Amino acid sequence: MRGRRRRTALYSAAAIGLVAAAFIGVLATRPSAADQQARSPLLGQPAPAIVGSSITDGAPFNLAALRGRYVLVNFFASWCIPCQQEQPQLVRFANEPGGHNAVVAVLFSDTPGPARAFLRSNGGNWPALADPDGVVALDYGVRGPPESYLLNPDGVVLAKFIGEVTADRLDQLVALASRGA
Amino acid sequence: MNALLGQNAVLLGLLAAIAGVVTIGFGLRRGQDNLLRAGRTYAWLILASAVVAVAAMERALVTHDFSLSYVAQNGGRQVPLMFTVSTLWGALAGSILLWTLVLTLYTIAVVVKFRRRAADPLVAWATLVMFAVNVFFFALMLGPANPFTKVAGVVPLNGPGPNPLLQDHPLMVVHPPMLYAGYVGFTVPFAFAVAALVTGRVGEGWLIETRRWTLLAWGFLSIGIVLGAWWSYEVLGWGGFWSWDPVENASFLPWLCGTAFIHSVMVQERRGMLRVWNLSLVLATFSLTILGTFLTRSGVIDSVHAFTQSAIGPWILSFFFVVVAVSIGLIGWRGDRLRSPGAIDSPISREGAFLANNLLFAGFAFVVLLGTVFPLLVEAINGNKLTIGGPYFNQMTEPLVLCLLFLMAVAPALPWRKASPELLRRRLLVPAWAAGITLVVSVALGLRGGLDTLAAFTLGAFAAAAAVRQLVLATRRSLADGAGPWRGIVGRANGGMIVHLGIVVIAVAFAASQAYGHRTETPMTPGHSVRVAGHTVTFLRLETVRHPNRTSLVADLQLDGGRVFRPQISNYMADPGGGIGTPSVKSSLVDDVYLTIAAAPQNPGDPTVIGVTVQPLIIWLWAGGALVAVGTLLAMLPGRRRRPVLPASAPAHEVAAGGPGAGRGRIRPERVPAGTSVAIEVPGT
Repeated sequence: MRGRRRRTALYSAAAIGLVAAAFIGVLATRPSAADQQARSPLLGQPAPAIVGSSITDGAPFNLAALRGRYVLVNFFASWCIPCQQEQPQLVRFANEPGGHNAVVAVLFSDTPGPARAFLRSNGGNWPALADPDGVVALDYGVRGPPESYLLNPDGVVLAKFIGEVTADRLDQLVALASRGA
Repeated sequence: MNALLGQNAVLLGLLAAIAGVVTIGFGLRRGQDNLLRAGRTYAWLILASAVVAVAAMERALVTHDFSLSYVAQNGGRQVPLMFTVSTLWGALAGSILLWTLVLTLYTIAVVVKFRRRAADPLVAWATLVMFAVNVFFFALMLGPANPFTKVAGVVPLNGPGPNPLLQDHPLMVVHPPMLYAGYVGFTVPFAFAVAALVTGRVGEGWLIETRRWTLLAWGFLSIGIVLGAWWSYEVLGWGGFWSWDPVENASFLPWLCGTAFIHSVMVQERRGMLRVWNLSLVLATFSLTILGTFLTRSGVIDSVHAFTQSAIGPWILSFFFVVVAVSIGLIGWRGDRLRSPGAIDSPISREGAFLANNLLFAGFAFVVLLGTVFPLLVEAINGNKLTIGGPYFNQMTEPLVLCLLFLMAVAPALPWRKASPELLRRRLLVPAWAAGITLVVSVALGLRGGLDTLAAFTLGAFAAAAAVRQLVLATRRSLADGAGPWRGIVGRANGGMIVHLGIVVIAVAFAASQAYGHRTETPMTPGHSVRVAGHTVTFLRLETVRHPNRTSLVADLQLDGGRVFRPQISNYMADPGGGIGTPSVKSSLVDDVYLTIAAAPQNPGDPTVIGVTVQPLIIWLWAGGALVAVGTLLAMLPGRRRRPVLPASAPAHEVAAGGPGAGRGRIRPERVPAGTSVAIEVPGT
């Protein structure tokens, strides 16, 4: 055993080094969540359908019915602090004069009871849909709340936001898109 | 004035740290002992710099010097003094400042402790590594995390105060410093591990030098984690205490790795084995503290409570890269020369159990790390986003925890080298009875909850009985020696058993609270009562209370016809949009009743939605944490005849050549001070 010099440590270190290098490479190339607008394969694509009934009033809801307006699909949870902070911005966006904006909320890892309470105390009288199996979140590729998607009047995804959105930023994007259209 | 003072202190600290690295580097290169001695004095300078910088920042906070943008963004006249002081670690730049202060304290502690051995290359290299880490953190404060930048333009008259969640509970004052004392403490063993590898003094010397330092850091980290869980339970208002959030995982990962190390290190001390593994664990633990800092501070992972995101990501990632590259490079270079001379004789032995323990902890750390970064990896590979939630972590870690509980029961009973069935039978008799009785009683009481809960209780009793048995035997023996009963609980083996008890208590409380919790939300009006899990909650009234820094809506709730509890929702100046809920908790030894305002009434006269969560044994989580802290402290005190005197480690070539005492299974002479009896010390024999 001792005669032949073993190189286990060298080879393991080399292997771990390769993995670590690849890992650091991945980390280094990740976009930071700090710059809000995020890339998404959905950009420029028709938004995945959302159909169901709202947890607030039980009214039936279909995303397709909102064609003709700019729609913000907002994934939120009652336990999510940034969502609370973001809510007033959503209220402002939804209530902008002209009525060409709409907001739809989708629950993320949350149940209707607390979510209803959240909407009551933080504002937001728009449709909110339960997503018990996370199917909608999966369709949109949501990692964690809050995440939001801005759709144009044709139902095409214009932008994806990770983290809090501001009404100003949304207004800018809407203005930009309307000019282009 | 504050900005000037602080800025210059940071600059001085950076220069002093660089000077320390350069001086010691030259001293090592040229073999000049006077340079090595001189280099250490810079440690005093960096300590002074950090103290002055922290003092300048605290002064700015307390005197409301809003010309500093950190104070303007995070301070406020309306904030109570306690939280004004703790605002130092309420945001990124300040927490880097605190980190640096703790680091300079550890640096000076190392320098003072080893002052007589400053010329020893092992110590010199370790000091150099500590200085190098200091360079990075001071540089960070001159670069992207500068706490002393001034406000551009008009100086505001007041600030918003820290994030409302950070000015809600006194625990926020102690939890971050504890956590940082733990994180930063791992720099010391890291520095000595690097020094051992560089100098080739790969015997047990570095290990014995750093054993208590590692325990100290581990103890602080444990306290920090438990306090963090307690804080989130008392403040966040969702009734839970652990959610596998990236921030929590970032503190848990080095804890797991460090825990593996403080166990496997004993195998090296006793048998001289697992050297490469131990060095790797130390290097990995430190790397993980840096990785955790990166993950939570850079914003690559969205976390519910990453309060302090900023642009320091690339800096920390570069530092992580350097640390990993140095670690892996050193192990690759030296690893094969420090191959251990011994081999494990039997898997049913103390060292076999420690090995199993290490595999489990390493697996645990891997599972947690994978869960934390998996979304990032998947996104990098195919662009898909996905979420890994609590269920993954719970399912993957539960069997690991159960196996660890089992090992905790069996391992202390195992002797080194090889166990005979007869010995095991004798030693495990009492713990096995305790486990059996617990199982029978649980089933007889008809406890609901799955098999996993039952297994946790049974194995918990098994492990606890094993630990108590060791403690009783140690105390009895110490009394027989005429040393007094307290000798039975100090020292590493006995203190370790108390830590085990603490961990068992936490595991059992965790399992019980998960399996037997009740949660309801009920709209209530004054006079209305609701009954949850044997407790009656009566809604008395709702009122609005104004404080200097917030306005609160307070519900008076009478619990079981007795005391009145007052959960509230507060609007802070810092955050006029959202209400921050503050739960009110009635704790008892049996269960906790956790009361929240789930939703405030929209119009006067509307019902208020009250959340009631009843969970058993919660208080034992914190009690277990205290037990872990006490046990760690006792483990750091010198136990029975364990005073290793300057063990000169063998140079690498000597070991590789099968140097003196490197024979299989023999006690290595380098570890054993002259005149010390080397009876294998197994409690209970």
